[in-house]
Amino acid sequence: MIPKGSQAIGHLVTRIAQDLLPKASDAYTATDLGYFTLLLTMVAQDYDRAADLLVSEHAALQPILRAAGARLADPALQARIAEALQMEAPSLKVSDLTARADVTMKLLIEVHAAVEDAEAAGADWARALNEDIWRFLGTHVAAHAYDVML
Amino acid sequence: MDSREEQLRAGLGRFLDAKWRPGAQVSELAHIPGGASRETWRLRATAGADSRGMIVRIDPETSLIDTDRRTEYRAMEAAYRAGVPAPETLYLEEDLAWLGRPFSITAEVPGCQASAEGMPPEHRDRIGRQKWAILGRIAALDPATLGLGDVMPASSRETCAAEQLEYWAKVIVEDELHPNPVAHAAIRWLRRNPPPPAQKLSLVHGDYRTGNFLYAPDGEIRAILDWEMAHIGDPLEDLAWSMDPLWCWQTPELAGRLLPHADAVRAWEQGSGLVVDPAAFRWWQVFAAVKGIGIWISSSEDFHAGRSKAPILAMAGWLMTDRQQRILVDYLSPFSQHRFVERVK
Repeated sequence: MIPKGSQAIGHLVTRIAQDLLPKASDAYTATDLGYFTLLLTMVAQDYDRAADLLVSEHAALQPILRAAGARLADPALQARIAEALQMEAPSLKVSDLTARADVTMKLLIEVHAAVEDAEAAGADWARALNEDIWRFLGTHVAAHAYDVML
Repeated sequence: MDSREEQLRAGLGRFLDAKWRPGAQVSELAHIPGGASRETWRLRATAGADSRGMIVRIDPETSLIDTDRRTEYRAMEAAYRAGVPAPETLYLEEDLAWLGRPFSITAEVPGCQASAEGMPPEHRDRIGRQKWAILGRIAALDPATLGLGDVMPASSRETCAAEQLEYWAKVIVEDELHPNPVAHAAIRWLRRNPPPPAQKLSLVHGDYRTGNFLYAPDGEIRAILDWEMAHIGDPLEDLAWSMDPLWCWQTPELAGRLLPHADAVRAWEQGSGLVVDPAAFRWWQVFAAVKGIGIWISSSEDFHAGRSKAPILAMAGWLMTDRQQRILVDYLSPFSQHRFVERVK
């Protein structure tokens, strides 16, 4: 495995920015190299955090899905929530964790819509659950944010 | 010289010899960076004593924005004829015989640049006031007189917002590589809270922002670029897009890195003769972020499907999607600190 992967990618970024980019033969190539440094910086950030985020967010979604499953009346949606709560990723590979996250996030979209409908119909529990979902989404988006200067 | 450049030089030489001046020669051919929706080249065409700088926009195999070249060309042509600063349109060529792909040619606007980073600080205020005054002038045009009916679908004051929303919602559903619960929550919010009918129908540029106009060293805006998403709709759509926090990420208090938001709105109102309804504007602000996610998701999908290796598509798909989601959470979450909500009136 690459030793200190994020740091290694950072060294590649420095090499491109300091040594290769100034030698670019035209503006188009220079612009592309600039994009490469930015993209590699983002790859380095994801390299380190991806598995952690995918595992911790799956755990954070469990109580939201459980609460929704207990309250929402749609049996089909309830069944899919129950299935999602039991779902195990076949490994801790980022690709497997991502595939599991895709299933639960797709389910979250449906759950959120149903919770909004229930809130509009005056259900107090739905208001609290909607807030929980927004709290999750705010944390999710902040945790996935890239730290780059642009 | 690479083979792509040689191929283009030969093809453009033949084209200009046939369509512009017999004996036309192409020189100073250079690939221009930053054009994400079309492959863009600068050239000098010379025939005897005639010499003219031109810009060639060639259809890509894929692009950031899946749009029709004819719409872009005709919108730019209409704007130019209406007195809006825009490049003079010269040729729209859809015959593949010349370059293997359709292309358009406009007159070069010499001595200008588009870069927000390179903008002289002493001219920012002036450029900002022009930027939104020109957008106001575009909003004030009567779209019925522009002759664009054959390239732009008809719309109405009552339906234009829903049409745009459903178009971009479909793009997101079809192109998202991973489910995006924030975008879907925003789409539902927009459907639940429709805006009032547009004050008027206007020519909407569709991507009016800092970076998409050319300014001279003295701070005069000489040309509005990138009309490929132009359509008929609510003029507030362009205003909201032009002031999206994405275009002023490091300085959210300055719309487009140029003016305080309220000053930008005032310049637009003076140019258009219209009045901004803050409630309607809020809808278009949320819509702008959803539309942005649609564009960035599409570009990411193109990149990951391997249809294009252009890094700008990956950059848009990764970084811009991330930021646009943060903007939407800021707008819609009950726990938002509203970092991106600025006073506009």
